[in-house]
Amino acid sequence: MDEEPSKFSVMSRRAALTAMIAGGVGFAAFGPRGAKQTSDGRIVLDYWEKWTGHEARAMLKIVDAFNDSQKRIRVRYLTTAGIDQKALISVAAGDPPDLVGLWNYNVPQYAETGAILPLDELDVKGEVRPERYAQGFRPVLMHPDPRTKKNRQWAVVNTGGVLALYFNKQIFREAGLDPEHPPLTIEALEEANRKLILRAGPGTRSALERAGFLHIEPGWWSWIWGYSFGGSLYDAASDRSLAASPENVAGFDWVQRTSEEHGVDATKTFKAGFGNYDSPLNAFLTGKLAMVVQGPWLANVINAHGPKDANGRPSLDYGVIPMPMVASQLDEKHPVGLIDCDILVIPTGVKRPEACMEFMAYLQRQDNVEAMALAHYKNSPLAVSSKAFLENHPNRGILTFDAIAKSDRTYMVPRTRAWPQIKDEFDAGLQRMWSLERPAKDELAMIERRAQGYLDTVEAQRRQRGYGRTAKPV
Amino acid sequence: MSARDAQLKRDVAGWLWVSPWVFGFLAFLLGPMLVSLYYSFTDYPLLEPPIWTGLDNYRRMLSDETFRAVLWRTAKFAIIFIPLATVFSLAIAGLLNGKVKAGGFFQAAVFIPTLVPMAGSAMIWLWMLNGEYGLINLSINRTLGWAGVSAPNWLSDSKWAMPSIVMISLWSIGQMVIVYLAALKEVPDEMLEAAAIDGMGPIRRYLSVVLPLISPVILFNVVTLMIGALQIFAIPYILSAATPGGDPRAMYFYTMYMYDNGFRYGQMGYASAQAWVQLLITLGLTAMLFIASKRLVHYRA
Repeated sequence: MDEEPSKFSVMSRRAALTAMIAGGVGFAAFGPRGAKQTSDGRIVLDYWEKWTGHEARAMLKIVDAFNDSQKRIRVRYLTTAGIDQKALISVAAGDPPDLVGLWNYNVPQYAETGAILPLDELDVKGEVRPERYAQGFRPVLMHPDPRTKKNRQWAVVNTGGVLALYFNKQIFREAGLDPEHPPLTIEALEEANRKLILRAGPGTRSALERAGFLHIEPGWWSWIWGYSFGGSLYDAASDRSLAASPENVAGFDWVQRTSEEHGVDATKTFKAGFGNYDSPLNAFLTGKLAMVVQGPWLANVINAHGPKDANGRPSLDYGVIPMPMVASQLDEKHPVGLIDCDILVIPTGVKRPEACMEFMAYLQRQDNVEAMALAHYKNSPLAVSSKAFLENHPNRGILTFDAIAKSDRTYMVPRTRAWPQIKDEFDAGLQRMWSLERPAKDELAMIERRAQGYLDTVEAQRRQRGYGRTAKPV
Repeated sequence: MSARDAQLKRDVAGWLWVSPWVFGFLAFLLGPMLVSLYYSFTDYPLLEPPIWTGLDNYRRMLSDETFRAVLWRTAKFAIIFIPLATVFSLAIAGLLNGKVKAGGFFQAAVFIPTLVPMAGSAMIWLWMLNGEYGLINLSINRTLGWAGVSAPNWLSDSKWAMPSIVMISLWSIGQMVIVYLAALKEVPDEMLEAAAIDGMGPIRRYLSVVLPLISPVILFNVVTLMIGALQIFAIPYILSAATPGGDPRAMYFYTMYMYDNGFRYGQMGYASAQAWVQLLITLGLTAMLFIASKRLVHYRA
C-alpha cells in the first residue's frame, strides 16, 4: 500500500513550486540588466573591446580620464573575447553595445549591411575627419555606402600598425653581410637569404640551424607576397579577384624558391621548434630566424623577452626597413607596406549616438592616440606625429614605420565582405605552395576561381536586397 | 475533492515539475531547430533579414568543393576511428576484466583522459606531437634513429594530420572501456563454463558467446561514436589554429566549415542547411545501424 504523503511534504512541494514560479517571474521582471543611466543622471555607454592585459589597461586609463573629464557620460569598458562574432550576434539580435572595437576588415560587412552608423554626419565638429589620419590609414575608415554609392566614413582607428622587415644585425655580421645596408630589393633579399641559412650538414634535407627569411613565419599574412611585385588581390571597381595576376604569381614563385632554398621538410621540422610569438622562444629573438615581417608591436616582445645587457636593458641588435620590393618597383621615398589596424565603430540602433561620438572624439585626440600607440607599441595612425612620440617610442624602427604609414603606396586587406573566405584560401594555399605540392601559378588559379565564387555569392546577396554593384544609387 | 479534481491537481503539479525541462526543450532545442530549418531555405547574412531562396542552399552544396572535401574528410575520420576505437576499447576492457593486480588503478588511468577538457587535451597533444621537441618524436628518433627512421611532422605534414587526429581521439575512449567492462562483468560465468565444457577455446568463446551477449552495448557505443565522429570539432579546431606551418585544410572537418559559414563568413542560411544535412546523415546512418543490428545484435530475454 502506498504511503500517504504527509501534510508537511505536500506543503513543501507547493511552497517550492510557488517559490520557483515567483523566482522566475521576478527574475524576468526585475533581474539584472544593463543600466543605461547612472544614479547621478549620467548617460552610460557600453564599450566592447578585444584587449586584455597591458593593452586593456592603457585603454582603461583613457576611459577613466574621459569619465573624470565631464559629468554627462560614463563609459563602461568590457573586454570581450571573440569580439567580432559576439558583435555580429548582438547587432543581429538588436541589442548591440554602444561602441565596439573591431578589425579593419570588418568594415565592408558592417557598412554594407547598415549595421554601423556612418560617422560623417555625426562628426559635426570635424574631430575625426579622414584628413586627420596618415595617408595610408585613410582608406581604412572609408567604404562606399552600397545604397547611395557614396564613399563615407564608418570608423576611426583605435590603434594601428604597418608591416616592415625586421633584421638581426648581429646575424648579418656573422654571415658576412653589412647590417648598415640591408636588402631593399627582393633580389638582394634572396641573395642575403642564401648566406644566412645555416645547416647541420650539406644538402637541403639536412637539419636547419638558422633560417634567413621564411614566408610562413609567423604566417599571419599569407597573401601579401605579390604586393612586393606591384600586385594586388582585388579590383573593387569590377569586383574581380586578381589572385592569379602575373605579379602575384611572381610573388608566390618567390615563396617557392625560398622553400626550395631552405628545404621543405627541413623547414617544417625547424619551424615546429619555434616558440610562441609572445615568448622568449620567438624565433627572431632566439636567432633561429634572421629576418621577419612584423608590425611595430614586435618591439614589445623584444623588450620583454629578448636578450638583455648587464644593466637589464634590451640588447637585441635589430634594424627595420620597409618590405623589400622587386627592383623595378622600388621607390625608397614611397615605401610599400600593409596597414593593419583596430577600428572603433558605433552600431546602428544605439540610443545616444552623439554621446558615442563625443567619446570617440576624445579617444582620437592626438595625446590619447599617441598614448595608446605607445602602450601598444604601434605607430600613430594620425597624419602628424609629435616629436615626443617619435623620440620616446620603444621601437627603434619607429621612423621607418611612421614613413610607411604616411606613404601613398600602402595597402590594406581587400575591401570585400568575402575577405574571411578568401583569406582562408590563401592560408591553406600558402602552405601547399610552400610544400611545393604544385606550381604557384596553378594554385593561384584555383584560389582565384574560388575567390571569385565567394565574391559572386556576396554580390548575389547584395542584388537580392536591391543594392548590387550595378544598382542605381538611392 | 472529487477524483477528477484530484487527477487534475496531480496533472498540473506534474506539468509544473517538468516545466523547467519543457521550457528548456522548447526554447533552447526545438525552437532553434525549427528556426534553423527556416533559415536553411533563406539567404541570411545575420546582419540583414533573411530572404527566402528555396532550395538554393541545398543545391549549393552539390557544387561546393570545400563542402565535398570536409564531408569526405569527416567520413574518412569516422571510417578509421570507429572500428579502431571499438577494437581498442574492447581489448582494454577485456584486459581489465581479468584478474589484474591494481585493476582499479588501471580503470581510473584509462578513464581519466575523458575528464580532461578538450582544449587541455589538444594543447597536451600539440606538444606531444611537436615535430622537433615532441616527446613522441624524440622517443622515435632516439630509439630508431640508428636505423634511419625519423618521426614525421605529425601536425604540420598534411599526410599525417588525419592519423594524428585519430590517435588523439583514441586517447579518450575511457568511457567506452568502462561501459564495455560493465557489460563483460554481466556475462554469466555458467555460460562461459558450459561453452568450455563443449570444447570451445578462449577465442571461440569470446567470438561466439561473449560478443553476442554484449552486442547491445557494442551497438550503443558504435552509435554514440558515430554521432561524435560526425560532429568532431574542438580538437582539430584548436590544433589547426595552433599548428605552425601546417596546412589548415588538412584538419578541416564538417562542423568547422559549418561554424565558419555561420559566424565568420556571414552565411547563416547556408550553415543552417549544412546542419540539417548533417542531422539527416546522422539519422540515416543510425537507422542503417539499427536495421543491420536486427541480425547482429542479440538481446537476452
